Amino acid sequence: MPQIEVQETGDPGDGLAAVVALRRLADRLEDAAVEQAIGTGWSWSEVAEALGVTRQAVHKKHSHRLAAAGVSPRRRP
Amino acid sequence: MMRTDGGFVRVVLRLAQAEAVADQSPSVEAEHMLLALTAPQGGQARDLLAEAGLDHTAVQLALAADVERSLALVGVRLAAGRMPRSSYFPGRKPRLGASAKWVLHRAVAASRGGPANRIEPRHVLVGLLNARVGSVPRALDLAGIDRPALIARALAG
Repeated sequence: MPQIEVQETGDPGDGLAAVVALRRLADRLEDAAVEQAIGTGWSWSEVAEALGVTRQAVHKKHSHRLAAAGVSPRRRP
Repeated sequence: MMRTDGGFVRVVLRLAQAEAVADQSPSVEAEHMLLALTAPQGGQARDLLAEAGLDHTAVQLALAADVERSLALVGVRLAAGRMPRSSYFPGRKPRLGASAKWVLHRAVAASRGGPANRIEPRHVLVGLLNARVGSVPRALDLAGIDRPALIARALAG
């Protein structure tokens, strides 16, 4: 498995820019992963537990987006 | 208190908001304002950017290069060089982000003392180029843009 290697450039601007880019990546990753989970039969409670947040929080954040995209929770076979 | 005439500022913010939506961003940031200035409504700012080789695609590539470089510094490489995509539904309009507010403050400062005493596209461009830190100066530096020269041309009007 490749190792994560944090480079020290001596420029604090580089470190701060990396924080911004990582936050954006985490947000995008969450959006895509929640959509995939709900679309493949995960419940909101399961998604919430996997993310370590409350069901209410994850539902409030993602339900409108997924409903508009036609993605809705369904029972797993 | 920041005062604007509302004219071009309203136009550029509307365009920047559309850029933020396309970028799946919850907020309008400085980079979205830079992208907005490359639209036909960008007027003189658009022309100055084009003279420097920056059209919409070139700005997008420069911003993406900065994100890629920043992630690489912490050992992250994006597959195919792209962020993960998902269905996007802007439940509410992207709000004005802190970096965009700073741009507007600097645009107001750049417009002071001018003959028209109102914010023109070139003043917004100066507001963007005068940022010392953040994604816009980093991306422009990566793209090899001479920011001081561009600022001088914009201020010369």
